[in-house]
Amino acid sequence: MAGFLRTEAGKGLVLSAPASLYVGFLVAAPLGILVAYSFWTQTYVEIDKTLTWANYLEAATDPLVRHLLLRSILIAAAVTAATVALAYPIAYFIAFRTHKKTLWLLLITIPFWSSYLLRVFSWKLVLGFNGVMNSALISMGLITEPLTFLLYNEFAVVLTLAHAWAPFAILPIYVSLQKIDRSLLEAATDLGLTKLERFIRVTLPLSVPGIIAGSLIIFIPTVGDYVTPSLVGGSQGKMVANLIQVQFGPANNWPLGATLSLVAMASVGFVAILFVILATALGRRIR
Amino acid sequence: MTTQNIIEISGVEKRFGTFTAVRDLNLTLKEGEFFSLLGPSGCGKTTALRMIAGFQDHDAGSIRIGGQDMAHIPANKRPTNMVFQSYAIFPHLNVGDNVAFGLRKLKLGKAETDDRVAEALEMVELGGLQSRKATELSGGQRQRVALARALVMRPKVLLLDEPLSALDKNLREAMQFEMRRLQQKLGITFVMVTHDQYEAMTMSDRIGVMFKGQLKQVDKPEVLYARPCSQEVAAFIGGMNFLDAAVTGEVNGKLHADVQGFGPLSIDVNPNVARRGPQLLAGIRPEQLEISAQKPDGYDGYLQGTVTNAAFYGENVHYHVTADGLPQPIAVSVPNYFHTVDHKQGDPVWLGVQNASVIDLGAREA
Repeated sequence: MAGFLRTEAGKGLVLSAPASLYVGFLVAAPLGILVAYSFWTQTYVEIDKTLTWANYLEAATDPLVRHLLLRSILIAAAVTAATVALAYPIAYFIAFRTHKKTLWLLLITIPFWSSYLLRVFSWKLVLGFNGVMNSALISMGLITEPLTFLLYNEFAVVLTLAHAWAPFAILPIYVSLQKIDRSLLEAATDLGLTKLERFIRVTLPLSVPGIIAGSLIIFIPTVGDYVTPSLVGGSQGKMVANLIQVQFGPANNWPLGATLSLVAMASVGFVAILFVILATALGRRIR
Repeated sequence: MTTQNIIEISGVEKRFGTFTAVRDLNLTLKEGEFFSLLGPSGCGKTTALRMIAGFQDHDAGSIRIGGQDMAHIPANKRPTNMVFQSYAIFPHLNVGDNVAFGLRKLKLGKAETDDRVAEALEMVELGGLQSRKATELSGGQRQRVALARALVMRPKVLLLDEPLSALDKNLREAMQFEMRRLQQKLGITFVMVTHDQYEAMTMSDRIGVMFKGQLKQVDKPEVLYARPCSQEVAAFIGGMNFLDAAVTGEVNGKLHADVQGFGPLSIDVNPNVARRGPQLLAGIRPEQLEISAQKPDGYDGYLQGTVTNAAFYGENVHYHVTADGLPQPIAVSVPNYFHTVDHKQGDPVWLGVQNASVIDLGAREA
C-alpha cells in the first residue's frame, strides 16, 4: 500500500482525490438525480418512478417553454454582447495605455465588494418610477412624466447584468491582450499598417481567446439567472430559470423542473459550442 | 563605380529623460552596403536602429533615407523593413500569410501576392512551406520567415536587430554566410545591430563600433582589427595585449618607443587614433606573437618569460606568459598545426614580435 502511494499513479490519485470526491458528490451525483427525476412524473404528493418521455414531450410542445428559453438565450446573448463590447476598451486601456495596471485591476473588482443583491436593488433605485434617473431628468425639465421603459423589462435585465458581469469580461480579455508580444505590433507597423489596420489584423485576432472565454463565462450563467429577472425584469423580462423555479416551488412538479433544467443546459451547451466554432473561424479568417 | 548614399544621419541625438542613449550620431551609408552597428548591450545601437526604422523619434539632428528627410515620416511609411530580434512571427497566421502580411496592404491582387510570397520563400530556402503553421517552425525557420517577410516588401534598407542571437552556434554560422550571400544577390542595404564581433566581421562591408551612445569608429572589418582607434575598441574586437610604451622620437610616420617588456620598437603611427597623451599605449594581437623555447631569429623585439597557463582550443593553443615587471601576463595564440601543446606551465619561453605587429593605440584610457 505504502509502495503504491509512492508511484506516479498513486500520487496522482491521492492528489486528485479531494477534487474528484467533491465533483463526484456535489456535481455528478445531483446531476444524475436530476436526470432520473426528468424521466419520472409527479402525481400530487407522490413521485411516479415509471420511466417516461412525457416531461420531454411537454417541454418540446409547450409554447411557453420555447418562448422563455428563446428569450433567455436572446437576453443572455445581448448581455454578453453588451458586456464584451464595453469591457474590450477597458481591457485594452489597461493592457496598452497605462502603467498602473494593478491599480486599475483593483478598481475593476470594486463592484464585487458589495453583495450582488444590493447592486441589483441599487439599479432598481436608479431606474425606478421615482428613481434617481427619472427624478434627475424631471428636475432638469427634460421630461414631464417619469419614463416607464427603464425598469421591469428586458432592457433593465441587460443593463443590470452587463454591469454585474463587466469584470468577468475585462479580465480574460485583458490577459489575452497583455500576452501579445509588443514586437508583433511593431512588425505590423513596420510592414506598413496604420494603427487601425494593425488592431484589426493583429490585436483583435490574437485577443479572440479572451473574447471567447469572457463570452462563455457570461453567457452560460446568464441564461440560467433567475434573481435579476425576478427583481428588475417584470413580467416581460422573465426567463427560463423563473419557470424552473416555479416547478420546484409553487407548482411542485420536480420532474418537469428537472426536465426543463436539462433542456436549458443542452440548449446553452449547443449555443456555446456554436459560438466558439464561429468565433474561432471568424478569427482565422482575418489575415 | 559611384554609388548613391542611401542613409545620411547627421548630429542625431536621443534622450530618455536625463539619460542620453545616442549622442551626436553621424553616419553615411552607401547603397548596397552591409553595415553593422557593433557594441556592448546598452550602448545605444538598438536605439539608433529604431530611430532609422521610425519606432523612436530623434531629439536632434536629421535622418535622411534615399535623400528624403524622415523627421515627420512614421514607421509604416518608411522605405525600411525590419527583422526583429524575437522575429515577431504572427502566431495566428501560417508562413504564407506571415510573408504576405505587408503585401496585402498594397492590394496587388492574389496572383501577384502569391507569386511574390513564393519567390521570397524560395529565396530563404523555405519554398513550398506557405501553409506551415507559425507555431510549428524551428528557430532557424522563424528567422528565415522573418527575413522573407521583410524582403518581400522590397525595402531600400533592411534593418536587422540581433538577427542571429537566438540561434545555436552552428546554425548561426551557416546563416551568417547565407545572409551575406542574399544581401549581395539582392543589392539591398542591410543595417545590422549586433554585440557579436565575429558576426559583424564575417558579414559586414563596414562596421560602426558604439560605446555609451557614441559611434567611436567606422571602418572595414580588417582596418578595425588592425588599426582600432582606441583602447576600448581594440579590447572589444578580438584579443589584445595592452602594453605601456615611452615614446623616444617620431621619424617618417614611425614612433620610436620603449615598449614594456619588449624594449625599443618602431611603431607605425595609427591615423585612426582618437586621443593622444604623454604615454603611448601599444597593442599586440595574441596571434601576432612568436613563442619558442629558444630565442627565435628575425624579430624586432623579444621578451623572456614563463608560461603560467596553456589551454588547448582545438584550432589553436592559448598561452599566458609572465615576465618580471609586467602588470599582467601576455596572451599568445598559436595555430594548432601538429596537435601538440609545445609549452607546459612553468616552462621558460621566448616571445618575439615584429615592428609591424605592434599597434599604436594613442593614450591609455582610465
